[in-house]
Amino acid sequence: IPESGHKYYLQFSTEDYRTGEDAGNCLATVLYPKKKSPPVVSIKCSHTKDQKEIQEEDNRLYQRIRHQNKPVTANNIPDSYGHIEPALEPVWALAVAGSSSIMWEKSTETLGYSLAQVKSVRQWIRKDDFTEFDYTVLLHETPTQEIISCHLRLTWLPGHPLRVKHFCAPQSRAGDEGSGAESGSAAGPAAAKGANF
Amino acid sequence: MRLPVLLAALVAVATCTETFFGHQVLRVVPQSDEELQKVQELQDLEHLQLDFWLAPRGLGVPIDIRVPFPSLQAVKAHLEAGGVPYSIMIEDVQALLDEEQAQMLRSSRQLPLNTDTFNYEAYHTIEEIYSFMDLLVAENPNLVSKLEIGRSTENRPLYVLKFSTGGTNRPAIWIDTGIHSREWVTQASGVWFAKKIVQDHANNEGVASILETMDIFLEIITNPDGFAFTHTKNRLWRKTRSKHSGSICVGVDPNRNWDAGFGEAGASSNPCTETYHGPYPNSEPEVKSIVDFVKSHGNIKAFISIHSYSQLLLYPYGYTTTPVPDQQELDEVSAKAVAALSSLYGTKYKYGSIITTIYRASGGTIDWTYNQGIKYSFTFELRDTGRYGFLLPAKQILPTAEETWLALKVIMEHARDNLY
Repeated sequence: IPESGHKYYLQFSTEDYRTGEDAGNCLATVLYPKKKSPPVVSIKCSHTKDQKEIQEEDNRLYQRIRHQNKPVTANNIPDSYGHIEPALEPVWALAVAGSSSIMWEKSTETLGYSLAQVKSVRQWIRKDDFTEFDYTVLLHETPTQEIISCHLRLTWLPGHPLRVKHFCAPQSRAGDEGSGAESGSAAGPAAAKGANF
Repeated sequence: MRLPVLLAALVAVATCTETFFGHQVLRVVPQSDEELQKVQELQDLEHLQLDFWLAPRGLGVPIDIRVPFPSLQAVKAHLEAGGVPYSIMIEDVQALLDEEQAQMLRSSRQLPLNTDTFNYEAYHTIEEIYSFMDLLVAENPNLVSKLEIGRSTENRPLYVLKFSTGGTNRPAIWIDTGIHSREWVTQASGVWFAKKIVQDHANNEGVASILETMDIFLEIITNPDGFAFTHTKNRLWRKTRSKHSGSICVGVDPNRNWDAGFGEAGASSNPCTETYHGPYPNSEPEVKSIVDFVKSHGNIKAFISIHSYSQLLLYPYGYTTTPVPDQQELDEVSAKAVAALSSLYGTKYKYGSIITTIYRASGGTIDWTYNQGIKYSFTFELRDTGRYGFLLPAKQILPTAEETWLALKVIMEHARDNLY
């Protein structure tokens, strides 16, 4: 749009990250203004699951995490062979949700991300009912092909938005717009529903 | 050693419901009747939930006890109060089980005795794949031979398998996998392709008809230094392992090092980046050896370079928006190939030229091969679309290889039927 920026019209389907089941369709417009600033997004999605189902799944996920005898610590999820220990699936699922908030903030019109691997996770036991985790996640950046290391701190309780703080290591690139400390907490539309896997 | 057997039994239990976090295995070797008695007293305390791996048998004979975490303090106090020395054989049973489990997953990688017992559903090391190649050649000397087309930066051999039923310098198809070392499903698929070609030939089906008039060249580990690095140091390493003067950073992107739009937009001049094109075209021996091979062979008709991930079938160009003269034909072949691929498991692929389908990339393999006159130049990006990305679960190797093979056959057959 001359003088204004670039506007994208998107129609896409979504699927459950864990099972691959269809999770609804979305219609969205994304406007990247001419001057550098976050894009303007409007989005509307259809849902295949109702609130009750989502709540039940969240609770089941929560129980699996609370059920561990000791605080979770682990490395390399998935491992080199693409394997995820079943006991660690809930922890991975939360990392996926938390990473999506990092990717939401970092993506631009020309830079996209994928979660390549959870390098490490450490659980913090809290006095209240919230679950809390410290992650190091590796993001795969396109088209640069770089692997970006980010520290992610996440707290969650079913029925509450995921609270996320993150810091991504700056890239050692000449001519890069020196990325400094980035942190933010997110309560985007996905987070508001809680983890939906 | 009895331990592995017992551990295996525990693993069987562990995979059901029980876990053994913090459990320890203690060993007592009673030297007196008093010591023996102290341990036997423990056997009666049911609430401790002790599991005697080696029950008390007599003096001087070891007693091994698996002690659940909640009982540890009580048991140790009892032994210490009774003056009974003990040692901790296993500090954390669960940790050992996890390691065992991981090992069992890896155990399918013992060196196989023939290519029929080779595990195609697992990821392998360089040594295992080299061993596979030698086995394949030994089992099929009239069809398969192994060529060394050069050496990598770290002096590893660059091996290409040649599949030929005879003739002299027949028109040929080239397939390479693993040029980017972290894309493990590609090398794994390459191994499967090699076996598949041999099987088809033996059963006189599939590509057997192609082999009547054409040769197939398959380079499975196109970037062996990078591949070794992904096994030992960094699973997500992409580039070669070369060091060029003037930088502390290692490696050149082998898919930006070819002489097609070299150094133009779509590659990086910074040695510390993943798309560094290198100091000059073909600076990388891994690339140069293929260039030399292609030029001296002179009769390659189709060239397919395989990557992951994204589920795409791409044709040139990446370095310019100018469409290739054969755009329409390549597009039609792509459509057919992708349809064949999807027919097996429903896997969705997109296709098109590199620059219109993904992004501008210069110095790429198939841009160079196309400009050399190899019309049927294609690149695949295999499974998946980002959920596992480079870390594709091993159980997806077989379906990925199988579906990709159907697309490859479409391309190979088209080349055979449209020789130029």
